[in-house]
Amino acid sequence: MNYRKLHLILILIIGIYTNSCVTPFDIKTITFESALVVEATISNEIKQQEINLSRTFDLEEKGPYTESNADVIIIDDLQNIYNFNETTPGKYISNEEFGAVANRNYQLKIVTNEGKSYASQQTQLTNTAQIDKVYAEKSEDGKGINIFVDSYNPNGNSRYYRYVYEETFKIIASKWSYRDLVLVSKYPTIFDFVPRDENKRNCYKTIYSKGIIQTETNNLIDDKVTKFHVRHINNDNYIISHRYSMLLKQYVQSQEAYTFYKTLEDLSGSESLLSQNQPGFVSGNVFSEDNSNEKVIGFFEVSSVSTKRIFFSPKDLDLIVPYPRPYPVPCHLTAPQLNPRYELSLFEYLESGRFLFYARNGPGAPPVDPPNGGPYIMTEIACGDCTEIGTNITPDFWVE
Amino acid sequence: MRKVILLVILCNFQSLFAQNDIEKKISLHFENSTKLEVIKRIEELSNYKFYFIEDWLDDKTISGNYNNVNLPILLDKIFNNTLVNYYITADNKVILTLNNLIHDSLPDGFFGDLKENIAEYEETSPVFYNQESSLEKSVVETVRIGKETKESLQKNYKLTGYVKNLNTNEPIPNLAIVVQNKNINALTNNKGYYSIQLPPGVNYIETKALGIKSLIKKVIIYNNGTLNFNLREDSEILDEVIIEANQERNVKEALTGVTQLKVEEIKSIPLVLGERDILKVATTMPGIKTAGEGSSGYNVRGGKEDQNLILLDNAVLYNPAHFFGIFSALNPFTSGDVNIYKGNMPAEYGGRLSSVFEINTKNGNNQNFSGEASLGPVTSNLTLELPVVKDKASLIVGARGTYSDWILKSIDEESIKNSEASFFDIVAKYNHEINDKNNIEATGYYSKDAFSITSDSLYSYNNRLFSLKWNHSFNDKNSGSLIIANSEYRFNIDYDGEIDSDFNLGYKINETELKFKMKYIHSEKHKFDYGISSKLFLVNPGTIEPKGTESIVEQFNIPKEKAIESAVFISDNFKVNEKLLFNIGIRYSLYSSLGEASQRVYAKGLPRNEGTVRDTLNFAKNEVAKTYGGPEFRTSARYFLTPSFSIKGSFNSTFQYIHTLSNNTTVSPTDTWKLSDLNIKPQQAKQYSLGFYKNLNGNLYELSLEGYFKKSKNILDYKVGAELLLNENIETEVLQGEGKAYGVEFLIKKTKGKLNGWLGYSYSRSFVKLDSEFGEERVNSGEYFPSNFDKPHDLSLITNYKITKRYSFSANFTYQTGRPITYPIGKYIYNGEERVLYSDRNKFRIPDYYRFDIGFNVEGNHKIKKFAHSFWNISIYNVLGRNNPYSVFFVTEKGKIKAYQSSIFSIPIPTITYNFKF
Repeated sequence: MNYRKLHLILILIIGIYTNSCVTPFDIKTITFESALVVEATISNEIKQQEINLSRTFDLEEKGPYTESNADVIIIDDLQNIYNFNETTPGKYISNEEFGAVANRNYQLKIVTNEGKSYASQQTQLTNTAQIDKVYAEKSEDGKGINIFVDSYNPNGNSRYYRYVYEETFKIIASKWSYRDLVLVSKYPTIFDFVPRDENKRNCYKTIYSKGIIQTETNNLIDDKVTKFHVRHINNDNYIISHRYSMLLKQYVQSQEAYTFYKTLEDLSGSESLLSQNQPGFVSGNVFSEDNSNEKVIGFFEVSSVSTKRIFFSPKDLDLIVPYPRPYPVPCHLTAPQLNPRYELSLFEYLESGRFLFYARNGPGAPPVDPPNGGPYIMTEIACGDCTEIGTNITPDFWVE
Repeated sequence: MRKVILLVILCNFQSLFAQNDIEKKISLHFENSTKLEVIKRIEELSNYKFYFIEDWLDDKTISGNYNNVNLPILLDKIFNNTLVNYYITADNKVILTLNNLIHDSLPDGFFGDLKENIAEYEETSPVFYNQESSLEKSVVETVRIGKETKESLQKNYKLTGYVKNLNTNEPIPNLAIVVQNKNINALTNNKGYYSIQLPPGVNYIETKALGIKSLIKKVIIYNNGTLNFNLREDSEILDEVIIEANQERNVKEALTGVTQLKVEEIKSIPLVLGERDILKVATTMPGIKTAGEGSSGYNVRGGKEDQNLILLDNAVLYNPAHFFGIFSALNPFTSGDVNIYKGNMPAEYGGRLSSVFEINTKNGNNQNFSGEASLGPVTSNLTLELPVVKDKASLIVGARGTYSDWILKSIDEESIKNSEASFFDIVAKYNHEINDKNNIEATGYYSKDAFSITSDSLYSYNNRLFSLKWNHSFNDKNSGSLIIANSEYRFNIDYDGEIDSDFNLGYKINETELKFKMKYIHSEKHKFDYGISSKLFLVNPGTIEPKGTESIVEQFNIPKEKAIESAVFISDNFKVNEKLLFNIGIRYSLYSSLGEASQRVYAKGLPRNEGTVRDTLNFAKNEVAKTYGGPEFRTSARYFLTPSFSIKGSFNSTFQYIHTLSNNTTVSPTDTWKLSDLNIKPQQAKQYSLGFYKNLNGNLYELSLEGYFKKSKNILDYKVGAELLLNENIETEVLQGEGKAYGVEFLIKKTKGKLNGWLGYSYSRSFVKLDSEFGEERVNSGEYFPSNFDKPHDLSLITNYKITKRYSFSANFTYQTGRPITYPIGKYIYNGEERVLYSDRNKFRIPDYYRFDIGFNVEGNHKIKKFAHSFWNISIYNVLGRNNPYSVFFVTEKGKIKAYQSSIFSIPIPTITYNFKF
């Protein structure tokens, strides 16, 4: 963080006694203004396009508030209308699959449940550029990997890029057992073992990138993105415990869209201690049709997209992963007594439905907490059944 | 011997009887004899015995033939035209005295019997002069003037004489002859002649003149007489005399809103890190502010930081700050004084809207080699003064630097080791008094700052300036100066990252000014200042070039900008009568943006962006692309309500053709200057001010109360997140709006005495309005909003108490309303991350600022033979440890918003500095 570094330098320069400092504090809402937030990027991919609507919320709240029951359409200059339907609150999906076409003007129109109407500026599809390659390298300190992208547009007319990615990774249940302990009868208490479904051992999970990742090649001779750093993953991150795949999407942005995203990022990025960027409202290209002073947040983008997928396992990169391999949830081992005085009994463990059998307790068994305990070692359900975390259906694209 | 005689006379005084009848007749003939011979003859011929000192009698010979004359008649003849008096006692003793007349009766009222006209008696009293005390005997020479006569006991006698310069033997005109403790004084004329009426008896006469060593003589007046003075020149007294001369400046001058500071006056003020910083002190004066402790640049009467013309010996100093404004770029030892014009600017200055900072470097000592040095915790400073031609030419050189860099380098931590933060500055001034009519001053200055905020980039900036001034006096009425000045400011970012994107980014502005100004003293009533100036600007708005062979950064240059700004000016200091004084000035400035350039033409009535470009005009080298200009009025008046109470009013209008581009709330070193062109109009301002000025207790206290109202237009502001560096089409990011500022300033200043200092308070507001028919060019719905430095209440108290000549104690207190900030009014989620929605610009304020500093100063003793004169300053900045917030900002970390506040000096900071002069 820039400000921390400068802070440090300042302290050193001005002497130990100069305590120039940056201290965190709790923000409190002084006044609140509700504004519509529009996230709308349609691409040249033929698919059901997606638009998200939400509203701003109080500083103290967790949010967000979604904007439901709005009429959302996109009109092109040939008066083709693409209708969108709300599938989950705030998420609007086009009724039909379509992709944006070059040299055509698109406009987003929204009428909210309250009857307020909003419209974007006329927007055209950006130029296309292809991703050359996406590649992972072990980081210099050996404790993680970095993912880079190279891209080249010989026409030199795309220049502004924004990246989003989907990460899919394999999960192997860390406290796997072939058997499940089941309660046969309560009175008298009878337990039995049954075989566990093997499909609960290997799963996959997909997560989506957050935040703004951008670059531009404006000051370069060639419209060439070289070894642009997209993502760093630490070796203790469970997503690279076994096998990992990234689908990188490169959106070519217009200069205006690039500036909008960059300004958002600049305003909420690291600050220098001594000179502060002038914060303010970042106007996008969506405006209220009723009140020109109303704040509307968001940019309607029509972007050409290029995608590339990579796979790797830690051993492909000679990356040492800590043992036991990092797992999405913490896994504890306990051996409940059959009739304990104070703690929960094995019976109660089983009845809660939140625990699974892992192994028999006794000599040679893994240590349990609290020590010794009853005859069977139990663990959290997600540790023995990965379907609690991901899906056991192997994705179509998956390559082992 | 003389003293013994006097004592005898006085002791015997009471025993002297009246001598009414001198019956003894003497017959005597002498020719070409000395007085001594004659006296001896008298003694031989009579039984008179003479008592005297031979020295009193001159060697002039006298001749005479007397038959049966009384002794007094004879003596009168002998001592005619000499200073010798005589007294004849009953026992035939003749006592000669020099000057004195021995009285045989006491004057009436001698013992204090009160009579109605006692005062008159006192004045006409005979001169009884007693050797008072031995106190001044060695210092003050006693001179006796005239011979006391019985006949004429006048109230006053006339003393005349010539005053000459001992060194040059030339007469000294305009020298004041002042009689101490009596309201009598006279001036010498052009020939050095003076004439003064003095009461008989002891008078302490003092001579006073600029550059002449004062001399006190004890003059005992018996009669009319002459007294010539041969006086030495003295340069050391100059300081004091100037202060005396300026004492009434507060009430007397016609200009409003002038702040004057002298380095000597600020010596004891406690300042952060021990730097005696004259510009920091200026900010304690009402009307001059900074946005915060870590902000370089000054806001004068609600004006932006780029609206101040900061002149160091006539050359523009673009960045007057080191290290983000924590230090000023001026060397405290070489700076003489600073005049800040915040109300009415003299007509000779222009090109900035809000103020002129006229900083003058001291002239070096042209008598002896001398110097001054200081050691502080962060900086050290050495200044040397060298006489080049004795009495005529001198050089002063000052150098100052930090040693923070080696501290950083010595730290065993890779990221810090490679970082850097340092500065230095060096200044030199040469002053040559060629003759009475010609004098030359030359100044050179260079400063450099370098710092790295992140380990992969190094920022640096530097100022360089040079000025040459030739003063010539044509005759008594006309004098002129020819000035040539050149300034350059540049900054550089050196980026050394990991991959093939290393670059060097640079910016440079260079200006050269030629100015010719004349002063014409037409009469007592009219004094004219007039002249012409022309300034050439050359700007390299930005270059980026690849660094190293692997870098694929494209070499890119924003085309150079060029412009010329010229002006003619004239002002008349018109003294209507003793009470009313006008200063009427007008300046006509003309600005031309010159080619080679290509400039865009945008569609009228549409926001400026890529899509609204209608044409691109190309201009050949030195072709005029666009001309702006207009008259600027600089008018003020002063009226004396009483001799020490005046009222002043002024109207001031200004143009500014050059602007800083900054998208920070406060000044940053990477701010660039942009010249007005086809699309960026010059800024304009008008200011009205009215004030009352009063000096109390013989100028001991200065009071002023001044109000102003200022309107400006085409003030530059920027769209949120504007990209200003390396942007060829700045006009698409720039907003030009209106400004409005008003305020009342109060200052009380005690200039002398054990306790001195000042109290300044101002209530002032500053607003900006950015309106447009297009939402993207509008801020805060097109309404006026407070500027980033709008701090309504501002109070400063600066005090110094001299405990003894060597020890003094000082304390400062400052209070300011917190500056406006833009605060979040909500959150939203975009791309899966929390972001902040900001309020209207500057709708909220950070908490109020206050700070208390104390200092203790010890001056070394004043032994003349001592090698160096030392000065210790121990100070504690921010004694209360107030954590004054400087800014508040909001950062998205891991998808969540975090709020931070930063402060610069949040705990008390003690500092010791050691200064010494040699």
